[in-house]
Amino acid sequence: MASATSRPLEYLEGLPGTTFYKLYQQPSTALTIFRRMLPDLAKCFVMALLYLKDPLPTADLEVWVNSESKKERDNALSILGRLHILSTTLTGENVRAYMITNPFAASLRQALMGAEDSHSFGVFSQAPAHTLTSIADLDEYARRQWEGVLGYMVGTSALSGQRDAVSLSKGVKQLLQAGHLVEIRGNRVDITKDGFGFVLQDVNTQVWHILILYVESAEAIGMDSVEVLSFLFLLSSLELGSSYDKSHMTPNQLRTLADLADFGIVYQEDADATHFYPTRLATTLTSDSSALSNPVTGSLTGPAGPSGGSGSGFIIIETNYRLYAYTSSPLQISLISLFTNLKYRFPNLVTGKITRQSVRRAIEMGITADQIISYLLSHAHPQLRKHSAAQPNGKGVPASVLPPTVTDQIRLWQLERDRLRATAGFLFKDFTSLTEYQAPCQYAAEIGVLVWKSDRKRMFFVTRHEQVAAFLRSQKVGGK
Amino acid sequence: MNSVDASEHYELGATDLSPSLLTIVIDTNPQAWAVLEDSLPLSKAIANILVFINAHLACNYANEVAVVASHSGKAAWLYPSHSEPRYRTTDHDGDVAMNGTSDPTPKTNKYRPFRIVEEQVTRNLKELMDSTTGDDLRGNMSTMLAGALTLALSHINRRTLAWAEEHGGANAEDAAADGNGGSGAASTNRYSASNEDERLQSRILVVSVSGSADAAHQYIPVMNSIFACQRLNIPIDVCKLSGDAVFLQQASDATKGVYMALAEPRGLLQYLMMAFLPDQRSRRHLVLPTRVDVDFRAACFCHRRVVDVGFVCSICLSIFCEPPPAGDCMTCGTHLDIRDNARPALLPRKKKKKKRVNGASGTGTPMSTPTPGP
Repeated sequence: MASATSRPLEYLEGLPGTTFYKLYQQPSTALTIFRRMLPDLAKCFVMALLYLKDPLPTADLEVWVNSESKKERDNALSILGRLHILSTTLTGENVRAYMITNPFAASLRQALMGAEDSHSFGVFSQAPAHTLTSIADLDEYARRQWEGVLGYMVGTSALSGQRDAVSLSKGVKQLLQAGHLVEIRGNRVDITKDGFGFVLQDVNTQVWHILILYVESAEAIGMDSVEVLSFLFLLSSLELGSSYDKSHMTPNQLRTLADLADFGIVYQEDADATHFYPTRLATTLTSDSSALSNPVTGSLTGPAGPSGGSGSGFIIIETNYRLYAYTSSPLQISLISLFTNLKYRFPNLVTGKITRQSVRRAIEMGITADQIISYLLSHAHPQLRKHSAAQPNGKGVPASVLPPTVTDQIRLWQLERDRLRATAGFLFKDFTSLTEYQAPCQYAAEIGVLVWKSDRKRMFFVTRHEQVAAFLRSQKVGGK
Repeated sequence: MNSVDASEHYELGATDLSPSLLTIVIDTNPQAWAVLEDSLPLSKAIANILVFINAHLACNYANEVAVVASHSGKAAWLYPSHSEPRYRTTDHDGDVAMNGTSDPTPKTNKYRPFRIVEEQVTRNLKELMDSTTGDDLRGNMSTMLAGALTLALSHINRRTLAWAEEHGGANAEDAAADGNGGSGAASTNRYSASNEDERLQSRILVVSVSGSADAAHQYIPVMNSIFACQRLNIPIDVCKLSGDAVFLQQASDATKGVYMALAEPRGLLQYLMMAFLPDQRSRRHLVLPTRVDVDFRAACFCHRRVVDVGFVCSICLSIFCEPPPAGDCMTCGTHLDIRDNARPALLPRKKKKKKRVNGASGTGTPMSTPTPGP
C-alpha cells in the first residue's frame, strides 16, 4: 500500500547525504532499499545503468521512455535523486549523463553477485539440531508479541485477562509514548489520535512505523542511527526458520536485537543465547503488503491460534451496512467496535452494524474514513474478494471488494463534519468606490486567483496578491 | 464532495502490485555453443544469466523464476528442480529447509533466494551435461525448443492457478477454462483487461543459439506454444546469440515480446539488464527493441521445409510444400480438388491459396495467425 512505502521513504529522504554514504556500504541495505523504496521504472533504470561502464547520457534515457510516460519517468528520477542513488555528471563531450552513485552501485553489484564474504546477509548459527524452533512457533511468538503491543495500546489486555497476556518491557512502553501513540496518565494508558490511526493500519506499515520510531529514538540513547538502520535492513534479508549467530555482532546490534525481541520481530530463547531467529515480521519487512498478507496477518489478525488459516480476512460487510467478523480476538473486536455498533457476540463471530452515529464517534476520536475503509479492505473475507473478482464491471476495472455504497457512505459521513476549508490568501477591502473595487476584482477572477468576493461589502479574497497589487498600482498611475 | 466519486474506490485495491514470473528457456545445444566458444562460452553466459535472474528476483519480494534447458533431444528443468537433492528438502514455495548438520557451512555472503537458484541451476546443468554423451549429439543437431516452451507454459499455468488461489481471486476458473481455448477473444479479455495487474505476470525469455534450419521439424508444436502464449498474454522475449531462428521472430512478434539479435554476445549481461529485465508493467513506459522485418515464413506439414510459397488446405489451413498425395489433406483428411497439380499458383484459386510471401518486403500483412489443426 502506498502508505506502507511512503513512510520509510519519507524518513530516509530526511537523512543527510553522508548517512546514505554509510548506509550504502552494506549490500543488504542497498538491496533492501532497491527493492522496497523504488517504483518499477526506477528499478529498471538502476538495473540498466548498474553494469554500464560509462554514464548514460540524459538524452538517451529520455528516448528510452515513452513520451506518454513523462510523469512516471520524472517521478522515478526524482526519487532516485532524493535517495542519492542517481547522480548526473558531465561526460567528456560535455553531455549531461546519469550514473549510479558509487557505494550503492558497488553494494548492489555485490548483493547480486555475492562477491566477498562480508557477513552482510547474516551468519548461520551452528546450533545443534534439537534446539531448532519451528516456523509455526516463530509465527506464534510474533503474533503474541505484536498483539500484546497493540492490546496494550487499545487497553484490551487489562480488561479481558488474556490467557497469553504478554508483559511488555519498559522500553516498548517508552517507545510508544515517545512516538505519541499512547499517553500515560497516572496508571491509565490512553491511546492518542495517532494511535488510533496506527492500530488500524496493516501489520507491515505498523512494523515500519515502530521501527522508524525506534531509529529516531536510538540517537537519544546513544546509538548510531545508521548502524541501527542498516541492522534492520540486514534483518529483513534473513531466512525465516533458521537461526543466526550472534558472535559477529557489535554491542549496539545486540542491544537492538534485545529490543526488537520485545516486539516479536526477532526471537531468542533468552538474552544470553548465542543465536537468534528472525520471525516473519522481520523477513517480510521488505516485501509488498500483498506478499505477506497471508501468513502473518492471517495468524496475527485472524482467529487466535497457530493455524491462522490460509485466508487472512475475516470481515464480511453487506450493502445494508451489517458487518460480520469471524474472530474471537479481543483486540480485533475492540478495533471493530471503534467504528461499529456491535450487536451480538458468539464464540467465533461478532456482528454489528455500521451507522452514522458509530462512524461519527470514530471520526471524533481522530480516525479518518480512509483508515476505516483500508482496515475493512485489508481484512475483507476471502468470500468478498472472490465475489468482486468474479464480476468485473464494464470499464475493465475489477469491482471493489467492499460494497461501494458502504465506502461512499463512510466518506460522506466524514464529509458531514468537514464543512470548513481553510485557504491561505489575502483580503482586499476598503475600496472607496464601487468602480475602484470592480476592476481589480474582475482582473483577479480573470487570472484565476479569486476565491471569494462580496459586492456589497466591497471586499474580495485572493490566493496570490502580487499581480493584483501590480494591477492596482498601474490603475492608480493610469488614473492620475 | 469531489472526493467521493466512482473512480476512487478502485484505487485502493489496485495499489498492490502482483509479482512476475520469469521463465527462462536456455538453449543448451552443445554444438551451437561450441561455435560460440571464442566469444562467449556457455559457463560465462550462465554466469551472466544468473546475475540477471538475481536482478529479477531483487525487483520484488514475490517475484519468481523458472529455468528450463532446451537441450539437444530433450528439455529439462534447471530450476525449480523436481528431483529432490539429497541434503535439503524444498517445500511448496521453494523455501529450503536447512537441517544444518549435513550441510556444514552454507555461505551467507549472498541473499538466500539468489543462492538457492544458483546452486540448483549450476548443479542441474552439470548433471545434464554429464549425462550427454557423444552418441546423443552425433545424429542430432537441433535443440528441443518445443518441449522447453511446453514445459515453461505448463509451469506458468500451474503457478498462475496457485497464485490466484492463494490470493482469493476467482481467476482460477478463468485460467483453467483458458487452457483449452474456447473463444479466443473472450478469454484474452479475461486475462488482459479485467485483471491485468492482479494476476501473476508471466513472461518467457528464450536465450537461443541454434539456427533455424534444424528447428523446422518442430514447427507445429512451436507454433502451437506461441499461439497459447498469445492467448494467455504471455510475451515471449527472444535473446538471439547466434544464428537466426525464423519461428522465434514470429514468436516475439505475435506475443508482443522483445526480440534482439545480439551483435556482440560478450555484452550479454548489459543487453539482458536493459532490454529484458523490465516486466510487463514497466514495459508500458519504455521503448523496447522489437523486430521490424519479421520473417513470417512457415514450415510445411509434410516435409518440415521452410517455404515461401506453398499449398494451404482450405479447411484446416495446413501448409504443404507440394500437393498432398491423392489430393487428401494429411491433417484433416479433406479431399482437395487440385486441378493443375504442378506449380503452386500465385493467383488464389478455389482450392489453392497463395502462401503469404516473406514479410521482409514490408508488404506482407502482419500475420493474422491462423491456428494450425488441433
